[in-house]
Amino acid sequence: MNYVFIYEGDFISLLNIILYLIKNNLQVENIKTENYNPSLFEQTIHLTVMQDEKIIDQITQAFGIHALRSMYYVFLSEEENKELILYYFFRNALKYRHRIMYYRNLKCVSEVLRISNYVRHEIHKMKGFLRFKVLEKNILYAEMEPTNNILFLVSCHFIHRLKNEFWIIKDNKRKIISIYDKKEFVIVNEKEFHLAIEKESIEEQKIELLWRTFYKTIGIKERKNDRCRRNFMPKKYWKYITEVKEEL
Amino acid sequence: MELQEKLKILADSAKYDASCSSSGGNRKNNGGIGNTSVSGICHSFSSDGRCISLLKILLTNCCIYDCKYCLNRKSNNIKRAIFTPEEICTITLNFYRRNYIEGLFLSSGVIKSPDYTMKLLIKTVSLLRHKYHFNGYIHAKAIPKSSSSLLKELGSLVDRLSANIELPTENSLKLLAPNKESKNVSEIMEYVKTNQSKKYVPAGQSTQMIIGATRETDFQIMSKSSDLYHKYHLKRVFYSAYVPINKDNLLPSLEHPPLIRENRLYQADWLLRYYNFKVTDLLDIQNPNFNVLIDPKADWAIRHLEEFPKEINTCSYNDLLKIPGIGIKSAKRIISSRKHFTIHLEDLKRMGVVLKRAKYFILCNGKYVTNRDLFNQKFIEKNIILEEKNMTALCKEQLRLF
Repeated sequence: MNYVFIYEGDFISLLNIILYLIKNNLQVENIKTENYNPSLFEQTIHLTVMQDEKIIDQITQAFGIHALRSMYYVFLSEEENKELILYYFFRNALKYRHRIMYYRNLKCVSEVLRISNYVRHEIHKMKGFLRFKVLEKNILYAEMEPTNNILFLVSCHFIHRLKNEFWIIKDNKRKIISIYDKKEFVIVNEKEFHLAIEKESIEEQKIELLWRTFYKTIGIKERKNDRCRRNFMPKKYWKYITEVKEEL
Repeated sequence: MELQEKLKILADSAKYDASCSSSGGNRKNNGGIGNTSVSGICHSFSSDGRCISLLKILLTNCCIYDCKYCLNRKSNNIKRAIFTPEEICTITLNFYRRNYIEGLFLSSGVIKSPDYTMKLLIKTVSLLRHKYHFNGYIHAKAIPKSSSSLLKELGSLVDRLSANIELPTENSLKLLAPNKESKNVSEIMEYVKTNQSKKYVPAGQSTQMIIGATRETDFQIMSKSSDLYHKYHLKRVFYSAYVPINKDNLLPSLEHPPLIRENRLYQADWLLRYYNFKVTDLLDIQNPNFNVLIDPKADWAIRHLEEFPKEINTCSYNDLLKIPGIGIKSAKRIISSRKHFTIHLEDLKRMGVVLKRAKYFILCNGKYVTNRDLFNQKFIEKNIILEEKNMTALCKEQLRLF
């Protein structure tokens, strides 16, 4: 029988389960969240493992901050077997410690690097592509549908940039919302939190028109290059980008 | 005039400036709005595929000069507009709050006098910084022939200050921009270089040259760039393929802007700044122009096959950088990895090496990747040209579509 171990869906829980599995030398087919549908040959196992937050510090000390950060980025990805990749990475990291990130010839390391880079790039892109609307009562509101689960890290960028504004960012794919009150932000689930969205402010349409005017004007038509534009700004993001959504 | 129409006119006049980068800043948000990101952030990409990071506008397109290549020259019969400083602040702040932009790139035609224009620029930027507490990125153009006290004031408010050299030689400048002297531009660069600090032009200075409006060779252009990098520690030299907007006997009549040439110059510029190449490695009086068919680094390598193939596991960082298909990132990865294990061919791809380019020039554990008999100039050149052809064919198609 192949054993699939179940974790609670958060990073800390995953790390604790992985450490437990390694310590007890258990045979692992995969590690998944609650809603996983096992195949005929798989059996799911729920373990009671202590959820110790100290594991973050331990990993940082043992493998370095770069390794921890990369692991976290992999966790935020939608990669199908990300838990298993992290499991193998963890096992090898126990052997190579701080040097782990240099071993690109190990598949788990090169996968962790590849996936974490992908997530990191998407965060960077979203810092640029996110578009706020100004609602009545002067609240900034943005929606996005990122491939990876980056709402938390995107919010971390905007608490500095738009420190003195009220803002709300919604991830429409995961139905989660980040709300900032000029002091801190919280992430809530759409199901558990009814959000009454205000109407757009009166000047919103005017400003959007100004921006679209600027956007259209700034392109040099003798140099038109649609392929290049799509490379840098993939179509999957256009739905929420004020100046290009009409072109969809 | 409506704000929208003004924006249209003054963005249209500003769009030929190639620079739009917002990197190098390190401004924190202390109580106002905005901060800067060291790496810079692109917020959008225009229809020509260029990054939009900053609100790139002119304060006014009125100009007392009559430079032949410029859309805003005095003798052109076009609509003229001028923003008030408050109008620029309104647009900048409204765009910034909505995360459309990283900041402002403010340039201007010369209205009344250089000093008068500079004072208007200073007033605008000062309002943004002091009245609205704007901590986003600001790139301003310094107006040549303005007094140094104004240069001092403007530089202490912005992240980047730049003055465009416009054309690579004094002769060209005399021909096309009779009111400009390169001396006035270098004075600005010298001033900025001497005074640069965390508080004065923290993100450094840059400049721009127009390519293809005059007869200079690539060798002349690159030598000028190299000079500028050494003398004034510029962060960037931008190259802008000449787009024929004005008709004039002194200007060439081009069908398309020379985009491939522009691309080659950027590639070579990168080689100068990060790959330890010198201009004389790449070009000389006998070969004053870049090969249109092959990128400058591969072209250099093909002409210096005696230095290749290089062993990935032992050659120095500097030597790795000379290999086509290996960039700075992959070279660093190779160096840090090979202390820990012997690099095999299959590892190279994972390190970001472009194997289809690098394979002609490397040994991996003493093994040559393709057939050793084929290690000759003709074979390699032919294959690389074939690959690049596919690329340039795509470029041309883009142009034709327009």
